[in-house]
Amino acid sequence: MTTLTTAVAVARYLLSDAVRSQRVIIPVVLQVAVLAVLFGGDPGPLPAPWAASALALYPVATWLALTVANTEDPVQRSVTVAAAGGPGPVAIGTLLVALLGDVLLSVLSVAWPLVATPYSAPPGTVLAGVLTHLAAAITGTGVGLLCARPVIRRIGWSLLTALIVVIVTAVQPWLPPVGSAVAAITDGRGPGSLLVPVLAACAVAGAGTWVSALVSRRG
Amino acid sequence: MRIEGVHQAYRGGPPVLAGVDLALEPGAPVVLAGGNGSGKSTLLRIVAGCAAPSAGRVHGRPRVVGFLPDRFPAQLRMPADVYLRHLAAIRRVTAEPELLEAFGFSGPRAEPMARLSKGNAQKVGLAQALGGGPGLVVLDEPWAGLDVAAAAVLRDRLTALEVPLLVTDHTGRAARIPGARHLRLVDGRVVADAPPAPSAPAVGAVAVVLRGPARTLHGLGVPARVEADRAHLSVPAAEVDALLRGALDLGCSVVSVTPA
Repeated sequence: MTTLTTAVAVARYLLSDAVRSQRVIIPVVLQVAVLAVLFGGDPGPLPAPWAASALALYPVATWLALTVANTEDPVQRSVTVAAAGGPGPVAIGTLLVALLGDVLLSVLSVAWPLVATPYSAPPGTVLAGVLTHLAAAITGTGVGLLCARPVIRRIGWSLLTALIVVIVTAVQPWLPPVGSAVAAITDGRGPGSLLVPVLAACAVAGAGTWVSALVSRRG
Repeated sequence: MRIEGVHQAYRGGPPVLAGVDLALEPGAPVVLAGGNGSGKSTLLRIVAGCAAPSAGRVHGRPRVVGFLPDRFPAQLRMPADVYLRHLAAIRRVTAEPELLEAFGFSGPRAEPMARLSKGNAQKVGLAQALGGGPGLVVLDEPWAGLDVAAAAVLRDRLTALEVPLLVTDHTGRAARIPGARHLRLVDGRVVADAPPAPSAPAVGAVAVVLRGPARTLHGLGVPARVEADRAHLSVPAAEVDALLRGALDLGCSVVSVTPA
């Protein structure tokens, strides 16, 4: 419980610096631009167009998590870790900020075609759309955390590794979380078929947080 | 608080720390010396809880640790006051932004920390480390970049500290903390170290020898070479009277006063 309280305080701190920096704005603007293009003309009936926006959200969420995790200079990070009583709450706080971005971008991506295009969808389909985006975004968060400091210290290697992982894992329709989630929404399957991808995405994000804390502790 | 058998080695390199044992107690500050790259910063990071050692343990680390790294970076985009509030919230203590004033912080209060000068950034680092009543204070070169007034404030703060303190210092100012234990890191181990000799006598200085209990002599608050029950001091002529009065009030007796 105290770990969570501390993690929330860390999240508020990181968020406070993130909103002051322009760096987190770039991935958000990118997703908005993709949505504007995807849903600007006639995307066709839902839920199939959500496959494209969810696929776009995957690298965007990866970039966002990378940016949040690299907000602090490594020395500044050591002060925060000492204040938080260990790297655990700091890693969880980073995860919380990234998850907040995931939820906001997922809701935006699902709502956009419902508002901006004449197509509508029943609640079950909307839920499937939300779960698809969450699966993609949360996986992106996990990949971002695994490619960011302290796991990969050089930003060039971070971006390259993240890019390769995202490209390789996004295009396999059988591979959970992202591939199978996108395949499910393309085929118009219900929310039930998205449970496994979402759980797998949470596992990836959890692994990213855990590895990040572990590497930080090795210092 | 005890540090037991701490080893630290990085891949492909010799051990940085090779079995460090250290006890930290309130009222007995530890001043750690050592050459460049001798592992001081590594040991401080382990004591502060930023890193785990390859082997060995740290027992009894309190919940709230005040840690100042070597070269506090301050590259954040939030202002100093906002930073101090967030750090206090992470420690679950009350923020003490007035510490910035105490250290004579002269930077912009509403602008990003990234625009601060080195000295002002260091003051923010000190304010976060010392604010909110930490149970352990770990400072890596805290005097670096500080002006004279802030250095004196820091010495007074550290003297008044009632919790364990571990500090590294290249400036020699830590020698003026009364009751400090001086240790040195040599080949990855901690050994006893002589306190730095008092600075060379100034023009018009007077050599004073006092006799009294060692504890009292260490508590005089001026650099002194203490041998058994004698303290050898070199003080500016203008300050001799005040020093002697203070020393006599503390129960010391004057052995000799000679021109230095």
